[in-house]
Amino acid sequence: MKRRDFFKKGTKAAVAAGVVPMIFTSCANTKDIIYDKPNDKWYHLGTGKTGMPNRKPVVTYDVAVIGGGAAGICAAVASARNGSKTVLVQDRPVLGGNASSEIRVHLNGVNDIKGKAERETGIIEEILLHNRFENEQESYPVFDYVLYDFVVREPNLDLMLNTQAVEAVMEGDVIKSALCWQATTEKMFTINASIFIDCSGDGLLAATAGAIYRTGREGKTEFNETFAPDQPDGWQMGATLLMSSKDMGRPMKYSPPSYAIKYTHEGAHPRRHFKWFKDGIWWIEVGSNDDIIADAEVNRHKLMGYLHGVWDYIKNSGNFPEAENLALDWVGSLPGRRESRRFIGDYIVSERDMTEHKHFEDCIAFGGWSLDEHNPGGIENISEPPSYFHYHFKEVYQFPFRSLYSKNIANLMFAGRNVSQTHIALSSSRIMATCALQGQAVGTAATICNKRNVLPRQVAQKHINELQEQLMRDDAFIPKRPARDPKDLARKASLLFASSTSSGDVNNLINGMSRDIDGTINHWKSNGLPAEIQLEWETPILLAAIELKCDTNLARNIMMRKDSRNDELFGNSVPKEMLKTLSFEARINGKWQKLGNIEENRTRLITLKFDAIKVTAVRVKMAATYGAKNVKLFEVRCYA
Amino acid sequence: MINQINIIYWCFLSLVLGGSLFTSKNPSEFLEVPHKIMIKHPGEKKPVQVILFEIQNEAGFPVQYRMDVNSVICLAQVCKVIPVTLYWSNTGQYQRYELQKEATLEKYEADLFETDDYVKLDAILKNDDSPFKDVYIEDIWTVPSTLSEEVDAISGATILELDEKDTVPGAALTCYTLWHWANGNIVSEIKNCTSISVSNEQLEVFISHRDVTYFDIALQALQDRNLYEAIFVDAVMNRILKNEALLDRGFTYLEKAPIKTYLQVASVLFFKGEKLQKLAAMRSLLEVDTKVSVAYLEEWTEVISTLGTFQEVSALLDLIEKKDIDSEEVNTSVTPLLQSEFLIARRAYWFLYKQRLNPSQIKVIKAFQKKYKARL
Repeated sequence: MKRRDFFKKGTKAAVAAGVVPMIFTSCANTKDIIYDKPNDKWYHLGTGKTGMPNRKPVVTYDVAVIGGGAAGICAAVASARNGSKTVLVQDRPVLGGNASSEIRVHLNGVNDIKGKAERETGIIEEILLHNRFENEQESYPVFDYVLYDFVVREPNLDLMLNTQAVEAVMEGDVIKSALCWQATTEKMFTINASIFIDCSGDGLLAATAGAIYRTGREGKTEFNETFAPDQPDGWQMGATLLMSSKDMGRPMKYSPPSYAIKYTHEGAHPRRHFKWFKDGIWWIEVGSNDDIIADAEVNRHKLMGYLHGVWDYIKNSGNFPEAENLALDWVGSLPGRRESRRFIGDYIVSERDMTEHKHFEDCIAFGGWSLDEHNPGGIENISEPPSYFHYHFKEVYQFPFRSLYSKNIANLMFAGRNVSQTHIALSSSRIMATCALQGQAVGTAATICNKRNVLPRQVAQKHINELQEQLMRDDAFIPKRPARDPKDLARKASLLFASSTSSGDVNNLINGMSRDIDGTINHWKSNGLPAEIQLEWETPILLAAIELKCDTNLARNIMMRKDSRNDELFGNSVPKEMLKTLSFEARINGKWQKLGNIEENRTRLITLKFDAIKVTAVRVKMAATYGAKNVKLFEVRCYA
Repeated sequence: MINQINIIYWCFLSLVLGGSLFTSKNPSEFLEVPHKIMIKHPGEKKPVQVILFEIQNEAGFPVQYRMDVNSVICLAQVCKVIPVTLYWSNTGQYQRYELQKEATLEKYEADLFETDDYVKLDAILKNDDSPFKDVYIEDIWTVPSTLSEEVDAISGATILELDEKDTVPGAALTCYTLWHWANGNIVSEIKNCTSISVSNEQLEVFISHRDVTYFDIALQALQDRNLYEAIFVDAVMNRILKNEALLDRGFTYLEKAPIKTYLQVASVLFFKGEKLQKLAAMRSLLEVDTKVSVAYLEEWTEVISTLGTFQEVSALLDLIEKKDIDSEEVNTSVTPLLQSEFLIARRAYWFLYKQRLNPSQIKVIKAFQKKYKARL
């Protein structure tokens, strides 16, 4: 709808356009729509006034990010940090999407490549580390607050919770505004922005903008996909409802509620196992071969019934004596969705791009979760395995920027499960940490759009190097693409040396590769602590920032898990390898002067900013890690 | 001198140990010393008390260790548990396993081990970086062979993807159980037992042994026994002169030596060592709270112009500054560095800039200052 038309048509048009469902949530009917309320009869006893104040605020930002899951948070934070005034619009009361306390999916990423993780870095790494400091108890509700803190502390970022972007206001092929209904305040916000990023999963804003999208499974021939069905169909992977149980230390009875759907496990595929059932069963899932969004409430009710049916089977079938003392401790009411709309960009990522490790010149993210395609129908198709796990990756695959902006809506980008890819590609890239990398990429790209006054497609065509360099400076990793930022003064140092070395080489710190990968060592590791590195310039430089990338053991997962797993592959605390205490010094007129120190570092990317000074040398003194006897670094950068 | 010492040590080794360090002898000549220790096995919820037998030769030297364990940890009581004896070297390296006569190991569903399976199990146990290091026992219980198993993203991935080369198909639980017995914290317990049992004479041999693990055991024992006689100190010094990778560990021991001994060794390492030994000596002196005489560092500075890198020059000047040495001889040694490559020259300039210089030296640094004003 054109913006002008919207205002002309007023309430009726808005009702027709889909605001109504939000109103229904407060048990109202269409006559109760109150965001535009000339007939409102409110008499305020306190002030003696009548009538409703304006509840149609108009706000303007550089960038509007819709959806507060991992992708949306990373997009919004990247945008804000890089200089765009940004708003993050989330339709739930908490952040985190599928990883929030409302759903409680593990925030997985490249968890296991040949027995080791290849963890995502950048903003998602910072979030997961923040959680390890702030949430030692590994509580999902506390994780909501960790994310809240992570977002609201950003000075250039506003957060709107309980707010859903329901309608795009268009001008040609450009989104001018997003109409956003805030359920808790009965306000209809008009959010104006230059760039819109839809990370909402279902992508309602993008759909109402007229962005091209598809649902269902591509046929084999369209993209020459091995694992696609012979013919295209409408099947989408389902949503799952999770639960967790608690050992009460004594036998606990269980009787199913009225809506439970009897479950017997008869005829079930053997891969429908009950391992880890105490923390939920992921194959309690219902999909759709039609309009999965429209079916969501029906399916939610079904899922609640299936969940209790399966739990009844566990508790009362006699097959699970280990469940005798268990009782349900938490039961989800909001299913975690895997698939619905996939918007079409300038490139559609497909199976072979992943399995054949296609190199993209516009690569901005990577993935490595298996091709984990769930069966059509989920628990309603029980003889099938719950997932086919078609393919396990032995190295990470690349994801291109051209799949993250709309083919036909000029200022629209997306990140998460709704990006431009096939159903089979989605079966891997839907994993949250992969989505988070996409989010950081589009958030960063949005700021380039604003700074350069260009649209996302032009970023792909003319500014992709700038985008990649900024992402890598901000600790994202791009496979097979070393950083080579010409503004980085560390690369121009006359000499770089370290106090001691136990492995790697100090010159690796300026080779542009911020992790050990593909059998190549890109680190320097001290021999004991304290340790220091020093850079010398023959000609003095003007310096205002020093940036380090320290080791956080990317081969070990750090996301919060319900089972608090703690071994070589999964850690449940702050990585012991991470640099904790350090100080920075610069030589100015022949004397070493302290620039700053950090006592309790909490991030992999360590940045010290200061007023620009002229220096001939810099040294970083490292005193302690969180437990490792040596400190390992991957990168040092210096900027004017 | 160093070579002579080594030759003597190696002759001594064969005399004292009778070649028994690595070869087995008639068991009747050996003494078995039991050690009651607590071991944490990842398959057990709590640490387990075990008896580790230290096998000593007639000279009281620990030559081997053995321990009896069960082949599997099995909560459901449905597995066949076979006693297995594991053997380690005196450095804690797994060597072999033995079964009781006519005992056989079993696979999943009562299949018996084949001959090749026994050989493969031994190879698995010898791999201290086996994939079993990272596997949960819960995964093994439910995955009896080399299945590829994965859970969905929604509850968190656990992949048990063992290559056939890494396990005995159908006997993953046995492999897992024995691997952790063979390669778990028993290894450090064995090293500790050896460091306590060996004589001082044997420690001398350990220091020079080509297997670095012996060096580590010796250093631990030297510190525990507070041994700083010249014979030990020189041996450690000679070892770290030849092996840069051991510098850090060597200095950890040397820094606890009497001050006179420590300073002598630091000087030897500075003058005779290569770049890393020189840097280690300077770094050690920088870090220890030891007063150093002016003459001591004047001697070091005499060779400053022969130091090969900026890093060495800068470290020595840092050291002189840190120890607050005020010496005309030092200044005289440093002044020629103003003619060196620029980074070294600039470092020397800023050092001299803070010193009390004679008129000719003042003239030289003023000229340097004028020439390189924009680059200082």
